[in-house]
Amino acid sequence: MERALKFIAGILPLIFAFAFMVPVIDAGMQAVGVNAPFGLSTLSTALIIGGAWGVFAQITGRWV
Amino acid sequence: MNAQSVILPDDLSQLSDAELRRLELKIARKHSGMFPWGAVAWAFGNLAVWLSLWPLVFTGLLPLWAAFPIATINLALVYLPTHEAQHDIIARPGTKLRWLNELVGHATSWMMITPFEVFRVTHLDHHRHTNDPEKDVDITSMAPGPWSAIWAAIKARQPNAKRSADYVAALARNGREDLILLSLIYKLGFIGILGALAWNGYALEALFLWWLPYQIAMTYIIFFLSWAPHHPGNESGRYRNTRSWRSAVGNIGSMGMQFHIVHHLHPYIPLYRTPAAYREMRPILEARRCRLGDL
Repeated sequence: MERALKFIAGILPLIFAFAFMVPVIDAGMQAVGVNAPFGLSTLSTALIIGGAWGVFAQITGRWV
Repeated sequence: MNAQSVILPDDLSQLSDAELRRLELKIARKHSGMFPWGAVAWAFGNLAVWLSLWPLVFTGLLPLWAAFPIATINLALVYLPTHEAQHDIIARPGTKLRWLNELVGHATSWMMITPFEVFRVTHLDHHRHTNDPEKDVDITSMAPGPWSAIWAAIKARQPNAKRSADYVAALARNGREDLILLSLIYKLGFIGILGALAWNGYALEALFLWWLPYQIAMTYIIFFLSWAPHHPGNESGRYRNTRSWRSAVGNIGSMGMQFHIVHHLHPYIPLYRTPAAYREMRPILEARRCRLGDL
């Protein structure tokens, strides 16, 4: 149990990125009418940006 | 409440430490012990306004751009009633209205994604170890100037921030390791609620009604409750670890923290009484060589 909790606590940035950042970026792009590049959907773009940001935060320990 | 005014001698420099202490306590007692109805109304009123924003926005009765600043004010205002409850100012243990003290604490602290008991244990620990670089849970808010203080407050909420480790250490030091798990549950619950909203078409509502207001409010709260009243944060001792100062945004804009020195000396005085207590206590604080600024 303790190990599982420590594991979850250790990957909170990734959980946050995919649970919240991705749909926020997707909704934000749609709200302001930004077209996704390279023929991607807004959700795919959000997954790339949000996912990459989450991985960055997970590795470096900071979002900014 | 003792409404009798405390008459101070003209020359306090002749008084002994014990005599100064006696006068200080007399003033402190005069401004304490009353029931802070304002803090209770503030707690539940603020909570009700913030909760009402959600259906108002979801139903289109209130645009999100209008709800966002209100939510930000709500999140900024939520800490002070919690703070009163942490210090048992609403009702002390064993008294008839103790349940209300605890209810205020629990009903407000969840909005800031922190269990009430975590706030209480760590904040009382801050009072015991103010400005101690090893033990003060708020020491990471210290910075040379206001802009670096804002940056420090943002850095304090990063995943690997020292502030988180300091909070965990304070809980362990106080024998409350059980609260570490509860804190994690609160964080996961927050992410879960945000995620559920976001993946069901309410991403921007979750962003502008809770996540972003929380981030702005935390920066504001850390700035005014932690950095400003203790700046530069390098002195210890009862009369030197906290200061009074005149805020550019006034007493309301700084959430009453101009008089924070009174709170650290006598944490049982309700927030709304600290200005009056400060004015009455000022000659004693001068005699104690406190850092009073131009207030």
